Amino acid sequence: MLHQSSYSRAFALALLFVPLTCSATLAHCFVGSRFFPATLAVDDPCVADEMSLPTVTWSHTADVPPATEWDVSVEFSKRITENFGISVGDTFTHIRQPGGFVMEGFTNLETAFQYQIAKDSEHELALLAGLVVDWGNTGSVSAGVATPWSVLTPTFYFGKGFGDLPPEAGWLRAFAVTGQIGYQMPTSSFDPVAGVFIPQVLAYGGTLQFSMPYLKSEIVDLQLPDFINHLIPIVEVALQTPVANNFGNSAVTTGTINPGVIWVGSYFQIGAEAMIPVNADSGSGVGFVGQLHLYLDDIFPTTIGQPLIGGSQTVARKPSF
Amino acid sequence: MAKFLGVVSLLTALLAASAAQAHAFLDHASPLVGSTVATAPPELTLTFTQNLESAFSTVTVTGPNGARVDTGKAQVSGNTMRVGLKAAGPGTYRVRWHVLSVDTHTTQGSFTFRVGGGR
Repeated sequence: MLHQSSYSRAFALALLFVPLTCSATLAHCFVGSRFFPATLAVDDPCVADEMSLPTVTWSHTADVPPATEWDVSVEFSKRITENFGISVGDTFTHIRQPGGFVMEGFTNLETAFQYQIAKDSEHELALLAGLVVDWGNTGSVSAGVATPWSVLTPTFYFGKGFGDLPPEAGWLRAFAVTGQIGYQMPTSSFDPVAGVFIPQVLAYGGTLQFSMPYLKSEIVDLQLPDFINHLIPIVEVALQTPVANNFGNSAVTTGTINPGVIWVGSYFQIGAEAMIPVNADSGSGVGFVGQLHLYLDDIFPTTIGQPLIGGSQTVARKPSF
Repeated sequence: MAKFLGVVSLLTALLAASAAQAHAFLDHASPLVGSTVATAPPELTLTFTQNLESAFSTVTVTGPNGARVDTGKAQVSGNTMRVGLKAAGPGTYRVRWHVLSVDTHTTQGSFTFRVGGGR
């Protein structure tokens, strides 16, 4: 059953690529001189043509004693028009209990439909609205890593660079913040198997990032080694708080704080972060997440890197390094 | 796992087969971004990471009093752009560039450098 599911998913992904390689696509997140990298725990505030392949997460669950969890996920994002894009992603989860019992399989297929509300180049401000849908019964429900119900999450994203601060601010101009807030609405209110209510959850988070590329190209060229000039040190915070239909469940906020760094190249980026649980209900010990992220607009500038409809209409402005 | 490796292999092959060129980034400038030089330079040089389309690549430089001090149309050769500068005394000079790389990606940026001990 599991193998049939994985083959079907691989076939669906293959079908997705066929028309794309014959057409054209995207740009990643540039707003004025600011580049917002794809972040690992919080989504960046732009529609884009890009692919995360893969994102690998290792952590210990909040169980007592804790289980070890590995997640390997893939996400593909594609602009349909200049300001509207879709994303498709899925995750393979492997959970090993202390006694050796293993749960593994695919989580539900996740899609996101996003619209770019605004990009203000002068103030390095980006606003994005989206609807994230986890499609019920598309993962390994029998293995216990997916649910038979779907979850709808209207989400708002933002990004703001501080390059518009006065010149006296100096290096502070290389900082930027991003954030997102969403409201998770399951399509079922009660899980008859587990015998618990399914809560509605507020999912929110943010990032604080310092761009070495921005520092070099817009503020001061310190003639540092090239590798250093491609780094964006970052701290991400991702939290979830049950807010409704939570009868009998723990109402505590869970999540992680992720300090790390992203190396940004011309065609791809590589990110690595520690995952520090905010409390005992969020996990046990420090975990790790790493990601290879591909910029399809630079890899395939005349095909996959363009919107399917209308082509690029705005001038992308990238940091230079 | 075999499926996953297959997808990675396919993608790697596609990357290798594509004659892709990325956006033109400013690799370095002379005078350096954010630097202070003793005397006004006679020329500004910008070197990018990609070759440029000269017809759609421009640079302007303003002096301490806000007036343009570049001598006009920049000369583009490969990945390098040069423009002459008129002497405008000590102070802060602002550079604004806008380029089109040969793969049609447009990029732009701005920075300052200082001459002498002026503002």
